[in-house]
Amino acid sequence: MEARNELKFVSPSFFSRLKSMLGVDFYRLFHTPLFYIFLIIAAFIPALILGTTAMDNPDGTMAQPLYSNAWNAIAANTPLYTFSDIGEYANMNMVFIFGGIMVSIFIGHDYKSGYVKQLFTTHAKKQDYMISKSITCAFAMSCMCITYLLGSVAGGLFAGSDFSVNVGSLIIAIVSKMIMSLGWASLYTFLNVIFRKYFGVSIASSFLFGTGLPIIAIGMIFGNAAGSFLNIFLYGSSVYACLSSNIVTLIICLIVSALWTAIYNVLGTKLLSKSDVY
Amino acid sequence: MNAIEIRDLSKSFRGMYALDHLNMTVPVGAIYGFIGENGSGKSTTEKLVCGHLVPDEGEIKLFSKAYTDPGVRVRVGALIENAGCFPNSSVWMNLMMQAINLDLENREGEIRRVLKIVRMEDSAKIKFKSCSLGMKQRIGIAMALLGSPALLILDEPINGLDADGMRIMREILVDITKNYGCTVVIASHLLGELEKIATHYGIIRQGKMIQELSAEDMDGRCRIFTSIKTKDMQGAGNILKAKFEDVREEEGYLRVYDVDDTESIVDYLLQNGHVVSEIRKNKVGLEEYYIELMQAKEGK
Repeated sequence: MEARNELKFVSPSFFSRLKSMLGVDFYRLFHTPLFYIFLIIAAFIPALILGTTAMDNPDGTMAQPLYSNAWNAIAANTPLYTFSDIGEYANMNMVFIFGGIMVSIFIGHDYKSGYVKQLFTTHAKKQDYMISKSITCAFAMSCMCITYLLGSVAGGLFAGSDFSVNVGSLIIAIVSKMIMSLGWASLYTFLNVIFRKYFGVSIASSFLFGTGLPIIAIGMIFGNAAGSFLNIFLYGSSVYACLSSNIVTLIICLIVSALWTAIYNVLGTKLLSKSDVY
Repeated sequence: MNAIEIRDLSKSFRGMYALDHLNMTVPVGAIYGFIGENGSGKSTTEKLVCGHLVPDEGEIKLFSKAYTDPGVRVRVGALIENAGCFPNSSVWMNLMMQAINLDLENREGEIRRVLKIVRMEDSAKIKFKSCSLGMKQRIGIAMALLGSPALLILDEPINGLDADGMRIMREILVDITKNYGCTVVIASHLLGELEKIATHYGIIRQGKMIQELSAEDMDGRCRIFTSIKTKDMQGAGNILKAKFEDVREEEGYLRVYDVDDTESIVDYLLQNGHVVSEIRKNKVGLEEYYIELMQAKEGK
């Protein structure tokens, strides 16, 4: 039999608390099928788009491929805040839609199962919860960006697409989108905290923001000329990370992602601290 | 030192007070039976102590520290409403997540230890959703026990359990208090079960604590009575009423209240020609005491 509990109370530091919270989230991420399903979806979608649009039409005529260049599955050649066909819209930014749904399910299960009670009964603070969820989900979305890239390459090879590109710009675009994942993950975490009692609404809201529709609507009103203004939003910066990216793109994405991450984490922490957990 | 000290705690939902300036004191090492009717505020109090709800006003201290202090919180375990486990994950995985959350060093050893306490060593690989209600309750207790908590908050932990499940749960709770020095707060409607293990009681009504007392105090306040059966119940009743202050006919017996010396009752009846065919000495239980108290508060 173990000795009786001693009444010693040592406060864990912020980093110690965050480490344990991240430990839980990453353990859950790697030990449940959700993450792997979304990785496969992220790889499958671009491969499917590139592969199927290059197939012959049913009447035997040659189909017009959606992308002339395989890397357009990753990003457009220039920032397009509005689009005229689906090919200009459907690129790696779709990862942020998949990510939104994944985050909603990931966080929604915390509340549906009641596990969040276990977290907040112990030493976890609301701030730790927001930061940890944002980091974990950003990691998941970054991984989706990589599988999306692999899917695009596979689809491009299958379709015999052109692969010519400025490699530096391509890498900056991909890295910028991965950086943007943190901002997006923070937005979704915030939305899911707001709608924590309504699982369906949290998924719908994440989907809505993930599609970028609010920003696309502004873009349609003001045209692509509003581009530099739209870059202050998550969707704007994500679009800005295109195949003509340079170091400025990377810096802008870094700043915008960090800024929104901070805003959403502060707002989410305040909301959780001032309202009942469930 | 007290494990829990609550002063003037209030909480309302949509303008309706669930707790109205509640005061509560739970001594260290106690098994505190938290009693009250449905909607009286038991679960709300527990959720507030666990940090799930935000109080409107009032103060909560755990082990003389602010209840939000992470140093204290890390030593609190709870089972409120359900175990808070992921249904599609195994029992082991659920416990592992909580062990990681608590930043325990020997996680696997600690999980085996708590599974042994709740007698579920062989069920670690089962998915949580496949467990029976009794097993789920015990897993909830195991979750709460991880990391050697100094305070356990349990909401209806014996609800829905069969007789054997209740016995096991009772033994577990007594074991962790006696052998691990844990303070336990249990909210339950099953007063008979609570009476077997509680060292202290708190009775709450309409969001207010109406009485807090130790098991010894309760014992002192619970009246003793002697139940008697004779051939001529009415005649014996009249004879007894002439000598003893409180004699009632209840549940087919003559009950003589507040007389400790049963021999004197039997002798007195014999002297008056009544042979006692059955005699039993009883005490008013927690349930009767609670009902009487509630009726007194309602002015019945």
